[in-house]
Amino acid sequence: MSDGAVYAGIDVGSATAKAVLLDAAGVVRGTSVIASGGNLSDSAQRCLALAANEAGVAPDACSAVVATGYGRERVSARSSAVTEITCHARGALALFPEARSVVDIGGQDSKAIALDERGRVLRFEMNDKCAAGTGRFLEVMARLLEIELDAFGGRALQAAAPVKISSTCTVFAESEVISHLARNENVDDIIGGLCNAIASRVYGLASRARLTAPTIMTGGVARNQGVVKAMEALLGAPIHTPDTPQIVGAYGAALIARERAGAEAS
Amino acid sequence: MDITGLMAPFEQTASDYYSYAREAAAKGRKIAGYMCSYAPQELLHAAGYLPIRILGRTGETHRADELLQAFSCSFARSVLDSALEQEWPFLDLVMFSHTCDTMQNVADLWRAHTPDTDVLIASVPTRTDGDAPLRYYMAELERLKTQLETMTGKAITDDALAASLHLYNEHRTAMQALYALRTSKPALLSGAQMMQIYVSAFLMDRAEHLKHVLAVIDAMNANEPDDDNGLPRVFVAGGMCRHVGFIELMEAAGCVVVGDDLCVGSRSFSFGEPSGATPMEMLARAYLGRIPCPAFHCDGRQPGDALVEAVRRDKADGVIFLLTNFCDPVAFDYVPQKDALEAANIPALSLSVEQHQAPPEQLRTRVAAFAEMLREGAGS
Repeated sequence: MSDGAVYAGIDVGSATAKAVLLDAAGVVRGTSVIASGGNLSDSAQRCLALAANEAGVAPDACSAVVATGYGRERVSARSSAVTEITCHARGALALFPEARSVVDIGGQDSKAIALDERGRVLRFEMNDKCAAGTGRFLEVMARLLEIELDAFGGRALQAAAPVKISSTCTVFAESEVISHLARNENVDDIIGGLCNAIASRVYGLASRARLTAPTIMTGGVARNQGVVKAMEALLGAPIHTPDTPQIVGAYGAALIARERAGAEAS
Repeated sequence: MDITGLMAPFEQTASDYYSYAREAAAKGRKIAGYMCSYAPQELLHAAGYLPIRILGRTGETHRADELLQAFSCSFARSVLDSALEQEWPFLDLVMFSHTCDTMQNVADLWRAHTPDTDVLIASVPTRTDGDAPLRYYMAELERLKTQLETMTGKAITDDALAASLHLYNEHRTAMQALYALRTSKPALLSGAQMMQIYVSAFLMDRAEHLKHVLAVIDAMNANEPDDDNGLPRVFVAGGMCRHVGFIELMEAAGCVVVGDDLCVGSRSFSFGEPSGATPMEMLARAYLGRIPCPAFHCDGRQPGDALVEAVRRDKADGVIFLLTNFCDPVAFDYVPQKDALEAANIPALSLSVEQHQAPPEQLRTRVAAFAEMLREGAGS
């Protein structure tokens, strides 16, 4: 590894594309998050350029680029592709070395990952068939309630008596929300109920993967304190959330790029 | 000898399941369809039929959906739909085994809705060990023999049955040898190619399939594989899965599929040497003496331990279960199997299978993540 080397991780997810640039010492030099949009290759390129710009290097200056996420095969700049399961595990452990499990709730899937002390995946469970328990579920509900998604977490914490959303299907949950609105229920209580519903859905995955504490929550939904608190209540243990939970996969990918380049050099 | 050059007959049959039966029927051969590896194929063969296993097909199942409950598996749906759509006019008869209530009901529906095809039911006792099951099953085989003789107007002689037993035994022995060779030299024959071979075994004349299998065995003995670069070795477990796409998915993710315990795979070929005083007794003992599939039971049956043993024998690093939704017998075995693997520190992944659909694209990430997990060797 030469001193000026930079390593990139690009995570092209269903909702957003994320890039993280590391220097030779593994310190984060640049990050970016943009909408994935319709052309995954273009958005991968753009988010890499934005992160490179922040790091003050040219986008093609990276010694190694690891791509991850659903669009990983669409990243033309990639040196290799690694799944988001492995990348989230690696990124989470680097941020919280004591972490033994990761709950990642992304735009179109959710995952529960058990780790060993080196950040290697021991077990994982994934929901990739159904929108319930994903960020998309919250997006649909935010649109229905005409409330900014960013305000959801705060409003959920205000809920005095969260309503019960019994359906695990996004479409039916939507009609349940409409019934609650028709009954003139408090909107904060409805939002609280929605956050509980998503947490309860993901808790099923966490139980199957037999997660152990400490747990890290990653992915865009980790920014929603309503869901985080609901997950903590179900797991019976505090959950750590990184400052920018969306970029943990890209960060893990960049770490793997750096490790692999190091392994090749030695 | 180049192995790829020997694959043509298997590839052709595996890509168009019933092409072989259609052609044989056009040449005047009588065709007997059967649903399950427990159907006594030797008896059908000795009666002069070409036994062809009904494996279902890809595509919608609207007509079957009208008749079956929502909890019936996609295999049952798929075969019933094909029958109702009259896709198999070349079948002279179809034989069901009472493996589960769903298949029993499919047999009744088939009989009620397609009166042109004779439907036979070969009941195999749920418990396969002891004298009573043997007596029961021998009586059942005698009943079927008489039924077949009445249908064909021709006696099934002991000599004809002995010859069929010999052929099927020789074929199973060859398949066992091929499995063992593949496990030690997986780089010579991909898991997807292996699946084409074992799936086509059910769809071709056994003597002809045997000839092609022996050629592959010779070629594998004569060749030494390139280094496999330490790719993770995967064992595939589960029930009914006929989709080569699942194996291709695993291999595209960087796994080497080294063995299986699938209903269309090794399970159908793991019979012992036939024994008994008469050909009928040999036939009964062959089917009752095999390692019971998840629908059957015997004393000392430990599906978990048996799987761990098979995984260790094949030196596999991990197991991928292919579980057909709503297949209860396989789902019951899955629990002790998963627990036994975990106790033995063998990682496992389970994927759900719908028989009438190709593997969904989302599974790609799961399988790739599992391959990465095996390569990193966590927990070791």
